[in-house]
Amino acid sequence: MSYASPFAASTSKPGQGSISVALLPPNTPVLRDVSYQYPLKLVAPDALPPPDHEEEHAPSLVHTVFLLTYGGGIVAGDAIDLTVRLDSGTRLVLLTQGSTKIFKTPDPSVVSRQHMNVHLAPKSALVYLPDPVQPFAQTAFSQSQIYHLEDGEGSLCACDWVTSGRSARGENWDIFDYKSRNEIWRMEAKGKKRLLLRDNLILDKHGQTNMALSQRMDGYSVFGTLIIRGPLYASLAQFFLDEFEAMPRIGGRNWGDTVEVEPTPREQWRKAREKRETNDGLLWSAANVRGFVLVKFASKEVEGSRNWLRDMVREEGSIESAFGKGALLCLK
Amino acid sequence: MGANANDAQSLKDEIAELERRLTDAKSQLGEAIPDQTRSASGNDAALHALLLLSDSALPLGSFAFSSGLESYLAHHKVSPPSASQLPSFQTFLRLSLSTLASTALPYVLAAYRNPEDIETLDNDFDASTPCTVARRASTAQGRALLAVWERSFRAQYTHETVDPSQRNGSIEHSQHLASTALTSFSAALRTSDHLNAHLAPLWGLVTNVLSVPPSDSAYLFLFSHARTVISAAVRASVMGPYQAQAVLASAELQERIKKLVAEGWNKKVEDAGQSVPVMDLWVGRHEKLYSRIFNS
Repeated sequence: MSYASPFAASTSKPGQGSISVALLPPNTPVLRDVSYQYPLKLVAPDALPPPDHEEEHAPSLVHTVFLLTYGGGIVAGDAIDLTVRLDSGTRLVLLTQGSTKIFKTPDPSVVSRQHMNVHLAPKSALVYLPDPVQPFAQTAFSQSQIYHLEDGEGSLCACDWVTSGRSARGENWDIFDYKSRNEIWRMEAKGKKRLLLRDNLILDKHGQTNMALSQRMDGYSVFGTLIIRGPLYASLAQFFLDEFEAMPRIGGRNWGDTVEVEPTPREQWRKAREKRETNDGLLWSAANVRGFVLVKFASKEVEGSRNWLRDMVREEGSIESAFGKGALLCLK
Repeated sequence: MGANANDAQSLKDEIAELERRLTDAKSQLGEAIPDQTRSASGNDAALHALLLLSDSALPLGSFAFSSGLESYLAHHKVSPPSASQLPSFQTFLRLSLSTLASTALPYVLAAYRNPEDIETLDNDFDASTPCTVARRASTAQGRALLAVWERSFRAQYTHETVDPSQRNGSIEHSQHLASTALTSFSAALRTSDHLNAHLAPLWGLVTNVLSVPPSDSAYLFLFSHARTVISAAVRASVMGPYQAQAVLASAELQERIKKLVAEGWNKKVEDAGQSVPVMDLWVGRHEKLYSRIFNS
């Protein structure tokens, strides 16, 4: 049993970090390791018992780690490389504190990078609902989130979203280059692995469209992907599918031949949400692919997406009950 | 009469000589820049195959798909409704080609070059296709291509059994590999739950077996997509058939496809990805349209 120091140990390479959650039997998770090096900073507040802790298989505590950077953003040429490891039976909340700002680069070839490698053991669960990445004008940024699921098990709910820049300053996708890659791999014995999902977004000058990037984005200033998988999120995944199914048909009309019945609270909520979606110019879709539910969304303004995501996740409720209210901090 | 025969003979000789020099020059160029300069036009077998594959009667069922056009038009209502949708369509066509080139083209070329990787490529392409609508369109056409191969092409293209000892050219070797990979893939497809038969990697494989040069294979892949989308536009009343041919014939489209092939030529499949994120939403929301005439 290692002694958990209140002062994090340092690793040798700049931007490197590591988070490891172990299980102290029978059901007490401990932060075995939280280490980081400039410009990355990790903050782990006290762990709290999750609202569902009295249920079977629930851990007695849920740890939270904030991923921070000095100056609240990533400067040209910075490279961050974080490894996260969850043992069986543990849960972890990863958060950011404000949007990840990407600062201007002197040259498009100087690319800032952020790389995250996550290893999930069976019966572990990660929720990663960060603030969006906000690349300023004239930036080059590339990030990757690679999730390794032991035997394809483990529960994962991760959001990856990006905004058009500082809209208040008139920035509208005036970036050089933005790449974000999410991959989920099934890890098998003997080092064999199989790609389960790859979600790769590439915004650069290629594509022969003869259009500015902003035009390619069709007036949207936020794009996001929510990836949901695993037993802990089964009801959340189903919720997104059901709500997508319940969405009114595009171009449909009310012919007045449907019998109006007293709407249930859920139906009332849905009506109100759909109205907000229309006002915020929010588009979304959900699909059940290869054991995942993959949700894509876009809106005219950042707040539209943030409010929508919070609204959906709260209404369903299972993230809050498994991780506590704090898991949704970045959606406030 | 005799003079005419002499003239004809000398002309024939001259043609033969010019053809020989052309072949020489091409082979020299071919050594300098391997794949890209081999073109179907100088090669009868490849030209024949190219014509087969570019025929709109090729039963892939492509006409059933609009690749998001129908949904795009529903999301971009023009006002007044009588206004032309043509400018809006032109935008869509560019975005759609760009998306296809960034997501699928690397898989076409990878399967062409490494036929033995077909199962992994099929899996990885499936893992990279984020919505059910696009998957359905891709696997439906992929399976159809496989059926055409089995029922129509295979007899022709595997019976030219050259004595293995004479199979010294690397091109023939690669074709042999591709043909073997195709056969085992279509056998495995019947038993495995993991295989999907996506169009892009299978296209690379089939064009390899049919000895279509890779640059032509890539060009035709993008061209066929443009043709399918344009044909869908005709049926969606965006434009008339003559306008459609004009778009298809335009130097602009030709130039765009050529440049997209060049851009994607060395792109690795790991780096394939979505360059037009809103496309995923249009395609994904197709199933929410109140009325539909296409399957995607």
